[in-house]
Amino acid sequence: MVGLTVTLDEREVEPAAGWQLEWLDRRRGIARLSDGQRTLQVVVEGQGTEWFVTLRGRRVPITVQSWRERTLAEARAATAGEGGPVEIRSTLPGLVVAIKVESGAQVAAGDALLTIEAMKMQNEVRAPRDGTVGQIAVEAGQPVAAGVLLLRLD
Amino acid sequence: MRKDSGPPSSIRRILVANRGEIAIRVMRACRELGIVSIAVYSDADARAPHVAAADVAERIGPPAAAESYLNVEAVLDAARRARADAVHPGYGFLSENADFARAVQDAGLTWIGPPPETQEALGNKLAARRGASEAGVPVVPGLLVALDDNAPPNLAAIGLPMMLKAAAGGGGRGMRRVDALEDLPDAMAAASREARSAFGDGTLYLERLVSPARHVEVQLLGDRHGNLACLGERDCSVQRRHQKLIEETPSPAVDDALRSALFDSARRVAGTVAFHNVATVEFLVDGDRNHYFLEMNTRLQVEHGVTELATGLDIVAWQIRVAEGRPLDASVLEAVPRGHAIEARIYAEDPWNGFRPVAGSVTAWQPAEGPGIRTDHAVVEGPLAPEYDPLLAKLMVHAHDRPAAIDRLRRALDETLVGGLQTDLGFHRWLVDQPEFISGDYHTGLISERWVDGPTLADDEAGLMAVAAVEGRRSGLATEATTDGVAPRGSGSSGWSRTARQEALRTWSG
Repeated sequence: MVGLTVTLDEREVEPAAGWQLEWLDRRRGIARLSDGQRTLQVVVEGQGTEWFVTLRGRRVPITVQSWRERTLAEARAATAGEGGPVEIRSTLPGLVVAIKVESGAQVAAGDALLTIEAMKMQNEVRAPRDGTVGQIAVEAGQPVAAGVLLLRLD
Repeated sequence: MRKDSGPPSSIRRILVANRGEIAIRVMRACRELGIVSIAVYSDADARAPHVAAADVAERIGPPAAAESYLNVEAVLDAARRARADAVHPGYGFLSENADFARAVQDAGLTWIGPPPETQEALGNKLAARRGASEAGVPVVPGLLVALDDNAPPNLAAIGLPMMLKAAAGGGGRGMRRVDALEDLPDAMAAASREARSAFGDGTLYLERLVSPARHVEVQLLGDRHGNLACLGERDCSVQRRHQKLIEETPSPAVDDALRSALFDSARRVAGTVAFHNVATVEFLVDGDRNHYFLEMNTRLQVEHGVTELATGLDIVAWQIRVAEGRPLDASVLEAVPRGHAIEARIYAEDPWNGFRPVAGSVTAWQPAEGPGIRTDHAVVEGPLAPEYDPLLAKLMVHAHDRPAAIDRLRRALDETLVGGLQTDLGFHRWLVDQPEFISGDYHTGLISERWVDGPTLADDEAGLMAVAAVEGRRSGLATEATTDGVAPRGSGSSGWSRTARQEALRTWSG
């Protein structure tokens, strides 16, 4: 059988020996895992190489790759480098309450860039990596939908 | 004609000014009482479960809550169109809006809730705190007046750390912990801004932080004939962002002496206002079993269901009866709670990422069933409406004692499946195995001290998930086009699905 590599949380994981999966509702991804002694219900979603499994209420992203897919992905990651602009977008609809940086400012990974109030909470949007703040696409006081460009990190 | 006094008059058509699980909850009570239920819906909710659950439905506006579920005129228009004779507000939205309650009464309809004057008096948390203090109820040490930019001279006497709170507050909004006096100006600015945007009023006050503390509340139900019942307490100490995730009754921290002190205080607070219908009086309880009044909520609580499980009463049905002017009977006034009930709130939020709300679509939903289980929900498969509260469902369990209730909750959590997005089910599943929760010896700092950002995934769990993901991919390959020659191309589809079935049942052997 062709081998598949499972990556979870950036580490390679060996499927638990002796456990098998049986679909209860294939369309919804509801299944039972059993080793003949114990049974657990899980939810499985995804397509291609990207999957999500929910076990005991916890939903975890899992990559399942053939040898070839994995080699290609590693080659892409190696050539992508660290630079390149990053677009920072809102994940939820909300209200921009404060912008904490100016265009051209140097920021470190984890620095607060702006504050968005959404679903009763003030959320800090932080820099995913070191960089220079490029275009700031929103203003304080502006409502934003999910997926809207907030700023660019060069 | 106002119907807030006089002889009992039967309600025939109730407009439920809410959405989601609570609207359905109220409609179920209507159905049992033979009352026509009327749903209201925004454009985002035209196919929502609460619309399907109602006898009649009226559109009230666009998706934004401010233009629909919070729009007093639109809701009143819907009530006129549907010939409602009463309005039930549920919780949230307009439920504690005294102007709405008054407008409902002025339109000649029955308001199913405490009188607007009571809501007004208790809606201001600072005024309620003053009233409780004057009635001899212990309040958290701190200010009895509003905090303005000219800080009063005795701030240091309150003691650190302190909690900044919004006078118009609730639900944790406008609250800030202050650890040093020099942090106060910044904290005031942030809390005031949050309170102004949430409640339209930035007035703040200060209390000493009681820590460690438990959050315990008393359920009140009163009629218009002077009868007032205390239907037990609920412990709501498992909180994140000052919002509740778990509620249980009775509280493991409350003995008979504390219970009668809490009931006495709750009655005193209710006595400061003209009260009938339902309310909840919230207290903090410290490690020495001292209790301090926090606030009185003049509406049905999210967590009313655990009290219903323990008492066997239908609190919503009683809200309707007392709104009709009927007196409480012995089933309420002499109610004795039985066993133990726990509620776990299932939210679309990520406990491994600061309990932040998540967006997305529900792709699978399977509620728990069986003995002693109640799931109140309005979940449908499909995208979540981002305009509204991220509460998906309330899982409630009831058993003869607390250990059995915890075992039942663990079983029910394992049966409850949500696909498509992260929920707090994994947090609840962790909680029911924690020694502090099992012993009952926990406080409001449990999540920040013990959960923090959640445990890392155990190796055995990762291995099980890997089995599931691999089988997901393999069976997916059987029905979808494949990319990299992992499955044979060109073979007949019946052969594919047969292979898939065999593989799905085959034990993974590495």
